[in-house]
Amino acid sequence: MYVVVIDPSSVWIIVPAFNEAQVIGDVVADLRSVFAHVVCVDDGSRDETADVALHAGAHVVTHPVNLGQGAAIQTGVEYARRQPGAAVFATFDADGQHRLKDVVSMMERLSRGDVDIVIGTRFAGSTISHTPALKRLILRAAAWLSPNSRRLALTDAHNGLRVFNKTVADQLNLTMSGMSHASEFIALIAENRWRVAEEPVEILYTEYSLSKGQPLLNGVNIVFDGFLRGRMRR
Amino acid sequence: MNWIQVLLISAVVTLLVYLLRSRTNAKAKAWVKVGYVLFVIAAVYAILRPDDTTVVANWLGVDRGTDLLFYALVIAFVFTTLSTYLRFKELELRYARLARAVALEGARTPDS
Repeated sequence: MYVVVIDPSSVWIIVPAFNEAQVIGDVVADLRSVFAHVVCVDDGSRDETADVALHAGAHVVTHPVNLGQGAAIQTGVEYARRQPGAAVFATFDADGQHRLKDVVSMMERLSRGDVDIVIGTRFAGSTISHTPALKRLILRAAAWLSPNSRRLALTDAHNGLRVFNKTVADQLNLTMSGMSHASEFIALIAENRWRVAEEPVEILYTEYSLSKGQPLLNGVNIVFDGFLRGRMRR
Repeated sequence: MNWIQVLLISAVVTLLVYLLRSRTNAKAKAWVKVGYVLFVIAAVYAILRPDDTTVVANWLGVDRGTDLLFYALVIAFVFTTLSTYLRFKELELRYARLARAVALEGARTPDS
């Protein structure tokens, strides 16, 4: 099989962050130990998130007002895709719930060259998932209920870890600013016919990441936004 | 089923479909204006001859003209709410793009 070797200097990691000053420094430093380029999108934080991230070696783009995670990801991708030599992109949550080695294995998967985007999943293969039971049930139901997820055979519709190539980055146009962007991402994969694969990942549910996580009730908003999405003018 | 029920339900459904499909083209905007003019004419007539609304209501299977106007009001309210909601969503998106442009202008790199 033809193997595309990924040049580390062509990789850009996008970290959307909102009031994450406590942990963003470690997350960025950790990422920088492997990848040259990290862009932290400070989504209008009221704390020192931007300065801490900059000090840890990230490029920092600051939203003048809080817009939501979807908007932050879009901003990060738009910043990264216009950097010279940028070819591989990854989204990585700022709260420390993702593991670096999962990103590396997802990059290896992408480097095989037969897909455009690799999405992390908590529920595939033999990984032991530590997802809390109720959250697990709802996430599985969400993946199963979403026509796009089902058609693409995706098992985890709301995973923050994604690795993708320039094609995806150039075409990406997230319009849902809030948390509905995860399902919008899946819808875009279907609409643009990006080739997609899943890679098992582990989510570290620390007390901190759980306290920052979205309430399950937000699922109602996400479903509603999904219905409206097709009706919005782009 | 009463005529009023048929009319009200079809009005709600039509409004919804209309709203969710073509809200932004010039034709749709023109129809909104035509509808507004018709509304003003009907309102003036109803003010001058309030009892006639009861006659119309009776044609439709409603007892009082007041009830008929109330039903119409509910539909108008639903229409306004939905269109405001969609308008807000659209504005939110433009606002996000504006904020993004500002953010990208002021990007800071770790070296500088």
